[in-house]
Amino acid sequence: MNINGEFIAFFIFSVLAIGGAVFMINLTRVMHMALALAFTFFSIAGLYVLLDAPFLAVIQILIYTGAVSILMIFGIMLTKHKDEDKVAPFTVHKLLSLLGVGGFLAIVIWIIYRNPFFSTGEPQAAAFKVTDLGKAMFKTYMIPFEVTSILLLVALIGAIVLAKREEKK
Amino acid sequence: MDFFVILGPVVLLFIVLGFVTYAIFFERKVIGWIQNRVGPNQVGPWGLLQTVADVLKLLIKEDVIPQKADVSLFKLAPIIAYTPAFAVLAVIPFTESLKFADIAVGLLYYMAVSSITTIGILLGGWASNNKYALLGGMRSAAQMISYEIPLVLSVVGVAMSAGSLNLTEIVKAQQTGVWFVLPQFLGFIVFLIAAIAELSRTPFDLPEAESELVAGYHTEYSGFRFAFFMLAEYTYIFAMASLITLLFFGGWSAPFGLTFIPPLIWFIFKFLFFVFFLFWLRATMPRIRVDQLMEFAWKVLLPLAILNIFLTALFKEIPVLSQFY
Amino acid sequence: MEKSYLSLAIFFLLGIALPMVALFFGRLLRPHRPLPEKAITYESGVDPTGDSWVQFHVRYYLFALLFVIFDVEAVFLYPWAVSYDLLRTEMGLFILVEMTIFVLFLLIGLIYAWKKKVLEWR
Repeated sequence: MNINGEFIAFFIFSVLAIGGAVFMINLTRVMHMALALAFTFFSIAGLYVLLDAPFLAVIQILIYTGAVSILMIFGIMLTKHKDEDKVAPFTVHKLLSLLGVGGFLAIVIWIIYRNPFFSTGEPQAAAFKVTDLGKAMFKTYMIPFEVTSILLLVALIGAIVLAKREEKK
Repeated sequence: MDFFVILGPVVLLFIVLGFVTYAIFFERKVIGWIQNRVGPNQVGPWGLLQTVADVLKLLIKEDVIPQKADVSLFKLAPIIAYTPAFAVLAVIPFTESLKFADIAVGLLYYMAVSSITTIGILLGGWASNNKYALLGGMRSAAQMISYEIPLVLSVVGVAMSAGSLNLTEIVKAQQTGVWFVLPQFLGFIVFLIAAIAELSRTPFDLPEAESELVAGYHTEYSGFRFAFFMLAEYTYIFAMASLITLLFFGGWSAPFGLTFIPPLIWFIFKFLFFVFFLFWLRATMPRIRVDQLMEFAWKVLLPLAILNIFLTALFKEIPVLSQFY
Repeated sequence: MEKSYLSLAIFFLLGIALPMVALFFGRLLRPHRPLPEKAITYESGVDPTGDSWVQFHVRYYLFALLFVIFDVEAVFLYPWAVSYDLLRTEMGLFILVEMTIFVLFLLIGLIYAWKKKVLEWR
């Protein structure tokens, strides 16, 4: 393994991303957790830059760091977020969650290694162009793109219906 | 590695600090003149050292952290608010050659990174554990996220005409045709209004409505921690005035073939006009009501921004007009 | 290209360094005389009652949700806008129709929110 700038940057970003995730789980105040998660999102954007995917990196910041984090903080404001510094006991529920998450991780890793996209072929040397992305999205994957809008619409209407019900209570 | 990569940003940092110092002084002078007052004139010749004195005062002020505050977040929030304000300047090209990060997605980078500041403001308001601060922080955040959507969508028309998100390319696209302020006039108006709201300037300065919320999210902050919230605000004025210049007014390109004036001077000239425009607004506009504020973003600006996108696509089809789009 | 990313990193580092350095030097200069009265939360001179970390109205959350959804829409619009001229010659006006359908669905959502008075702020 040769140590160059890219390797060092990768090391720093992955430590930050994993560190943010660990903090997110271990912190006691819910607002600190939200910030730790936002930090992880941001570090992942750094990893995308290293993968020569600047568009994805910028979107990661725009959607996750900028928007989803705010949504979460507003969500926290919606609850009675009094601090409770108690450690939850280890329960069957936790064990089940661990199994579920572990299983999901195994499946994801299995898919990644199975998919020929990741294992074969030389990395493309050509510089990133936004137009290539546009071509892929609006020409090759046209139907998934249109379906996305329906998904967004359903999410929006669903949330409004739920919130309105909450408001009436 | 050349020195420009390392030293350039440091020099820019000091230029921005100098700009902020004199922008605040200039703002007070301009508002003074408009209101038929003199403005600051006591410290130094013509009052030129007024802001320097103010900054020194903030530096030697005691740092009071309320006992009920969340200390770690309270200390972190100004940094989270300030860092993106400076980081967005990385993609701003000042002239053809004077630029730092020349990335393909420059415009989207600006929009993305500037949205992080909202988290800093929100956390600052929350960490203070003060009713005014929390309410101010929530209002600020609600306003900033509501106006970010029209801001982001109004420049899609520019991206369509330029065929790029790189800010240098966008300026170059305007050098061959007309400045985008004319063909993208609707987009420009939406962008301008949304930008003023993002900057929390009058008439959208509700987060700091001193008559109802004391000082908004930074009520509990004092000394230099407060100074960094203010610095973030004025750094965004620097960034936003630059961005408007680049997107709609051809950046450093000279109008009417007046190329004997260097490009950097043209950039600074257009840039300063927008800085002045913001101060001018502050002196002349009343503050709008909070319910009008939120509804205006979603019911007026958002539909107009979307309309602008489809108008641009439409004008691309009309034979004579299509050369401008 | 590498140089561009390096300068992005430098801008971020400088943005973090300035407040830290300034606050560090400020600590050497500023006085520190804590009094219990100073540390009381400000509430216009009245002793604060209760906690300020209260429950907020659901409409804040709805605005944040609308924001996320329209942000995602914007992210789709950007690559479309940039490659519009290219795809216009390759696919004809279908590229416009495609985006019109996409935006129309989201506009339905916006109109729904409008009618349900989610966009009102009272």
